[in-house]
Amino acid sequence: MDNLEQLLHGFTIAVTLPHLALMVIGVLLGILVGVLPGLGAPNGVSLLLPLTFGMQPVSAIILLSSMYWGALFGGSVTSILFNIPGEPSSVATTFDGYPMARDGRPTTALATAFGSAAFGALVGVILITFLASWVAQVALAFGPPEYFAVYFLAFASFVGMGGAPPIKTVVALGIGFAIAAIGIDTVSGSVRLTMGIDELVKGVNFVVAVMGLFGIGELLVAVEEEFHAHAVSSKIDWREVFRAVAQLPRHGIALLRSAAIGCWMGITPGGPTAASFMSYGIAKRFSRRGRHFGTGEVEGIISPETADHAAGTSALLPMLALGIPGSATAAVMMGGLMIWGLNPGPMLFVDQKDFVWGLIASMYVGNIVAVALVLLTVPVFAALMRIPFAVIAPLIVIICVVGAYSVSNSYLDIVLMLGFGVLGYLFKKLFYPLAPLVLAIVIGDKAEDAFRQSMLMSKGSLGIFFQNRLVTTLVVAGMTLLLLPLVLQFVRLRRKPGDASHGAASAEKVKVI
Amino acid sequence: MISRRVLEISTAVLTGGFGVAVAVSSLDNGIGWSAAGVDAGTFPFLTGVIIVLGSLYNLVVGALPGGTLASVPVAVTRTELRRVAGLFVPAAIYVAVIPLIGMYLASALYIFAVLALPRHQSMLRSLAMAVATPLALYVVFERMFLVSLPHGALAAAFGL
Repeated sequence: MDNLEQLLHGFTIAVTLPHLALMVIGVLLGILVGVLPGLGAPNGVSLLLPLTFGMQPVSAIILLSSMYWGALFGGSVTSILFNIPGEPSSVATTFDGYPMARDGRPTTALATAFGSAAFGALVGVILITFLASWVAQVALAFGPPEYFAVYFLAFASFVGMGGAPPIKTVVALGIGFAIAAIGIDTVSGSVRLTMGIDELVKGVNFVVAVMGLFGIGELLVAVEEEFHAHAVSSKIDWREVFRAVAQLPRHGIALLRSAAIGCWMGITPGGPTAASFMSYGIAKRFSRRGRHFGTGEVEGIISPETADHAAGTSALLPMLALGIPGSATAAVMMGGLMIWGLNPGPMLFVDQKDFVWGLIASMYVGNIVAVALVLLTVPVFAALMRIPFAVIAPLIVIICVVGAYSVSNSYLDIVLMLGFGVLGYLFKKLFYPLAPLVLAIVIGDKAEDAFRQSMLMSKGSLGIFFQNRLVTTLVVAGMTLLLLPLVLQFVRLRRKPGDASHGAASAEKVKVI
Repeated sequence: MISRRVLEISTAVLTGGFGVAVAVSSLDNGIGWSAAGVDAGTFPFLTGVIIVLGSLYNLVVGALPGGTLASVPVAVTRTELRRVAGLFVPAAIYVAVIPLIGMYLASALYIFAVLALPRHQSMLRSLAMAVATPLALYVVFERMFLVSLPHGALAAAFGL
């Protein structure tokens, strides 16, 4: 009951005129980046981040999270109408969405996608609503060793379950840690890793890193493939919309299953992309009409969309509660949180009730706003697709350059940003994951501090990480996740010596699609 | 064209080199345990070592024939490389001239160059966008957010 009371209080914060206006702006910008290929939710949120520095934290997070919802919805629009996924997480929606639209039912495809997406998001928000205060209770038991254990668990879960090659994840994490360590050490006050460049004493701001990694990096990946948009009619017939939404409950099992997959993948850092692929794959295997998947099957749209949005929404819970972002976008938002002066982690639920519940309430409202706006703006954004990529690309470059500069009025940051762009391109091409890299840049410092504080408490004994049930469980869970890929590899090798490489190759192929 | 193998190897060398630099330069801060607790260099040093070890593993896996790379042997084809360079090279030049001629002039020239020279847009439209972009930057940053963008050595020479 306590949760519901808090939620009502949150609504009084979220449902005010300025915040509703921010939601509309955020959702529209989000749909824009979602629709434009080469820009996605992580880039959009990073591009918008510098503008939020002067805002109230709760207003800033409402703007950024609304942009996220908009981007998730916008990504599905282009997947269905043009067979171009505007977002990596809506790739799976193209499999059945585009065939259905091509067969003359674009409205049904869009309405089905939006309806199931809204359902997925709703399940995600409800999950957050009910788990939030439980998290707050656990919060008070957290000291430095527990914090370190949670960070450790976050890093380990990327290695064990992130879906990318484990050693590449480790390298990405390591680079992030090293970048976080650049500059003045908060514990001893000494200057570290500046490699003789005095300007690096201030450290490398994570905004500079994300602008390069996501802005320039994804642009380079996107420019590689030339886009050929074959648009189908994008007129919306409202009766058709209601008919499609009314049909949704008939696929209740698919909806619930996909929402469950999405929530699970969102809370563990699998992310929306992995969630939508997994959900599509499972639906194809278990659906009675599984053979028809790929030809415009309703469940082939429902499954990836529901999971995508459930994962996107629930990814915010571990970000807020534990400081573990469940997706790349959440990782960028978490960096924002720290810039606004908030510490993600359990104490947020105790100290910043207005912020947390305002955000949760805004998630309910924001998703409704997003569904309404996306339906209304489909024709407009479909027209936007005709702006040539050659015009959009240099504008994105300029936004990234100016954004990187404006963080701390430093030219070096622009050069670094461009360097991160090349790194992002290489990493993207070779399936190095970007989310753990960003995560390590954002919380690498805090993890190190927590570790060193724990060591001071215990006078150098590692036993402090096994001193009570909570911290032991976290550390053991982290170790298990870290060793999981090794164990799986071993099992696979024992079962079929020749099969291992084949499995890895086909897993990689799935991601290439 | 660039094969997947070459790209894997060069990326591994790049990350490994970074790891070595991190490990070596953190030795200056001291590693291990002292009176003040864990020394400042310890964490970065370990990170550097982990990056080096991971890069070595990626290097070996990337260099081995077949295996996980079988699915995509070619990472970047010649046409793709040309497109990527077509975006990146002008962007790099743009960044390089900012200290010289300032953000506004550089942005205008950059927009004009990438739109008009490859004939993506008509002369007139490119010119219009080249003028509109720095104007928008000026209004948003210098006026609304009070962030001064670099005006460059050229402007300084004219005493602006």
